[in-house]
Amino acid sequence: MNSIISPTSDCILSCQHVGFRVAAPDGELTILDDISFDLKSGETLAIVGASGSGKTTLLGLLAGLDRPTSGEIFLTGQALSQLDEDRRAELRQNNVGFVFQSFHLLPTLSALENVLLALEIANHPSPKSRAKETLEMVGLSHRLSHYPRQLSGGEQQRVAIARAFANEPAILFADEPTGNLDRKTGDGIANLLFDLNQQINTALVLVTHDPSLAERCQTTHTIDGGQLVQ
Amino acid sequence: MNPIALSWRLLFRQSRAGALWLLLAGLIIATGALTAVGLFTDRVGRALERQASETLAADLVISSRTPPSDQWITKAQSMNLETAKLVVISSAVFLEDRSQLIDIKAVSEDYPLRGTLGVKRDLADDETRLATGPSRGQGWLEPRGLNALGLSLGERLDIGRATLNIEQALTYEPDAGGSQFMVAPRLLMRLEDLESSGLLGPGARTRYRLLVAGEEDQVLAFKQWAEDNAELGQRVITPAEGEAQTAEALTQARRFLGVAALTTVILAAVAILLSALRFARSQRDLVALLKTFGASSRLILMALSALLAWLILLAVVAGGLLGLVTQEILAGVLANVGGTALPSPTATPWLSAAFLTALLAVGFALPPLIGLRQVTPIRILNRSLDRAHPMSLGLWAVLLLTGLGVPALELGDLKLAGIVLGGAAGLAMVLALMAWLCMHITHALSNLARASWRFGLAGLYRRRSAGIIQITALGLGLMALLLLLVVRGELITQWQATLPEDAPNHFVVNVQPNQRDSVYRGLIEAGADNLQMGPMASVRLTAINGEPPPSDRFTGQVNISWVSADSIDQLPPANRITEGRYFTENSVAEVSLANRWAGRVGVGLGDVLVFESGARTFQATVTSLREVEWNSFNINFFILLTPDAGEALPHQHIASFYWPDDDASALKPFSQNHPNVSILDVGALIERVFNIIASVSRAAEVVFVLTLLAGLVVLLAALEATRDERRHESALIRAMGAPKDMVRRGILIEYGIMALIGGSLASAGAGITGHYLASSLFGFSYQPSLGLFAGGLLAAYILIVGAGWLGNRSVLNTPPMRILRGS
Repeated sequence: MNSIISPTSDCILSCQHVGFRVAAPDGELTILDDISFDLKSGETLAIVGASGSGKTTLLGLLAGLDRPTSGEIFLTGQALSQLDEDRRAELRQNNVGFVFQSFHLLPTLSALENVLLALEIANHPSPKSRAKETLEMVGLSHRLSHYPRQLSGGEQQRVAIARAFANEPAILFADEPTGNLDRKTGDGIANLLFDLNQQINTALVLVTHDPSLAERCQTTHTIDGGQLVQ
Repeated sequence: MNPIALSWRLLFRQSRAGALWLLLAGLIIATGALTAVGLFTDRVGRALERQASETLAADLVISSRTPPSDQWITKAQSMNLETAKLVVISSAVFLEDRSQLIDIKAVSEDYPLRGTLGVKRDLADDETRLATGPSRGQGWLEPRGLNALGLSLGERLDIGRATLNIEQALTYEPDAGGSQFMVAPRLLMRLEDLESSGLLGPGARTRYRLLVAGEEDQVLAFKQWAEDNAELGQRVITPAEGEAQTAEALTQARRFLGVAALTTVILAAVAILLSALRFARSQRDLVALLKTFGASSRLILMALSALLAWLILLAVVAGGLLGLVTQEILAGVLANVGGTALPSPTATPWLSAAFLTALLAVGFALPPLIGLRQVTPIRILNRSLDRAHPMSLGLWAVLLLTGLGVPALELGDLKLAGIVLGGAAGLAMVLALMAWLCMHITHALSNLARASWRFGLAGLYRRRSAGIIQITALGLGLMALLLLLVVRGELITQWQATLPEDAPNHFVVNVQPNQRDSVYRGLIEAGADNLQMGPMASVRLTAINGEPPPSDRFTGQVNISWVSADSIDQLPPANRITEGRYFTENSVAEVSLANRWAGRVGVGLGDVLVFESGARTFQATVTSLREVEWNSFNINFFILLTPDAGEALPHQHIASFYWPDDDASALKPFSQNHPNVSILDVGALIERVFNIIASVSRAAEVVFVLTLLAGLVVLLAALEATRDERRHESALIRAMGAPKDMVRRGILIEYGIMALIGGSLASAGAGITGHYLASSLFGFSYQPSLGLFAGGLLAAYILIVGAGWLGNRSVLNTPPMRILRGS
């Protein structure tokens, strides 16, 4: 059995011997197998790999959206497997930000309301002014009352980034943040992500297919067949 | 974050979300329809009750063998109720050398509290209606009493020590009730005069009645108090327990209105179920996202529950107002009920509609919302990793049973509610099962089919869980509408037929045995239609299986009849045997009882009854129980004997016939030839029953139109549930090069199969439920026809395929790219 040890204090994320298996019609299917690495505060990490390699599943597990079937993940020093779903949610509320490939903006909320909702959930003391401030940071101060369908793909992703950074999280997870965007818009979004990473000192974990985006990260891990190969 | 604050934010910020509006619309339609139908049927029901109050000359009567104590009168008056007293006593009166048994009704000044009295100043005059009874010192005697005593109007008559001036002939008493076959003629006089006559001495056979009338809620409160304080021999009588024909009509009326109200409950439940499920489904992404942001399951559950509570509150207010306005329109269509203006609406039906909406909403919406707690946040990254958790069936069952149990209890007729709601629940299960089976069978067959069939059948299978709910909802909605159609079209028509055009509207009493043939011939010659004649004797029940009978007005003096020996085994018309067997050629000393009488007295098959008539006693064994259609107005008796028991009794004959003309002068020669025979006009009674039937028939029509409109909205909502997904799929296969025809046929096949299952099962459900309602409750026979089946199927096809086609037509006319980009 692999040993699990507590991470050091400057380690924001520690992944130790993580495995994830699901039931399939012809037996158990291994999605991830024995993944281990550490990430310090403010560092940037890219997870790359072919489609179906398990990188998005790994991202979900790292963020505490589900529990690994084996191994342990420490997020801000807390062992995720020992927390129930509500405690993991509480941990995310104060420490974690998300950016998704398909943006996941609520279609019935305006740009401002989408950012506001995340801040309100996190009990931010002045959610409205902070939401406006963050949207201004991503260059969307003129689009506050626009709904997602009235925004371009790049603008929608900028709203999602504003939402993710608004609460100044310790770590941000981004799943193919430029995957739905053209090269030029994607570059703009990447710049924004790394600028904010610098400004707020947020650790960044990116899942991407894009080698140029991965290159901008301090570390790159490649997943193949559910295993870390590099 | 505070869950209430989050619920407010979700409410306002989701105000642009279709599913939220759909849930709100579903709740508003449900409350609106329940309120409108509840208020309307309540008002019609109360108007009918008020009309029926005439049969008691009051809203409530306390009947007893001893005078009502002052405590009762003081209590009634303290509740702002009007009161009147009356005493009924039989006595022989003498005029010169003639004597006559008369039935005295002595009344206080305020009698009658409801209805009017009919009198004639001269027998040749038209009847005059008066709101009050005779003054002191006056008496009003029935024409046959005048005939029997050879008395003229204006002459004086001694009643014990009192002398009355017989000023008018009494032609109509609102509360004559079952006493229309009274052997003795009626004398109406003042109570004070009876008291001074000395007839009320010890041993007098008297019956006292305290009449009470006033505001409905006060009457109800007094009734409750009276029932709690009633002593032995005291009985509280409501209009529904008064005169048999009106009571029966009123009971049937309540049942018809109850069916109408219950079909609305079914539609409301379907509307709420559909919108609640769709709402819960639409919240899965939101819940996953909120969890990703760090919201706890408890916070989400509480916020969504609070959100549901706000929606229910909004719906109760908006739906209540909508219902109030709608029922005012309905009430305008049915301006009055048989001449009685509809009473004002009360808050009770609205409150009960609000309560029911809340229960149904909680019952249908809360379990899926609770199920949302199980949504995993990983869904936001990969939907396939969102493990669906089955909803707690136990929770659903408890909430549903409460939701459906409340209207059943509220209606106060568990049998009726059991048949209608049980029928609907049974149909729902069969629909779901059949839909599930059909999905799997068609899926298996789809591999053998051509492309458009494969597309249509695959569509059904892909959306099978939504499809099963959709087919169940469509079927239930259709069943509610078809059931109302069966009730309106078949059962009410049969009810109307129980009161045929030639229902007897005159009775002939006091026909002596030796006059039987001449009276029969005389009436036929005078032009009487639908003439029926039978013997009648007045007896007292003295023992049941050797024990004295319970003290009840039904066990006092009672009129009995018997069948003739040559037609002993022929059941009289408008009678139906419900238990035992009717007389045979060899039957001796047997008795057949009407259910109503047997139930009241507490006797059943095999019991031995002893009767007394003068000095003669005889016994008979109960061999059958009959359901009597009192509304037929044929001569009917609670107690029917075999001829051996009856023929030896002192008796007279009575007859009933239909007289088509208002002008009764053609009957004068008959009356002159038979001076001792009395003809009673019961046209007013028939008119009252006719009015009740006509009012309920119109009310059912009005409710049908409203339910049809609400039902159409529900059916369209059911079809809308999967429209977006279907549009997307159609656009996708068009983008892949599928011709329009294939898409069109695919859509028609999918909707056509839904119409086939929903329509055929709904028709069967409505037919079976209608059959049980008819036979178990209304006493009619109804066999579901092929027409209902074909009509139901056609309606389902037109509605479902038509609406589905219209809803999806834009798919074919819009470039696929636009649909795909939009989704």
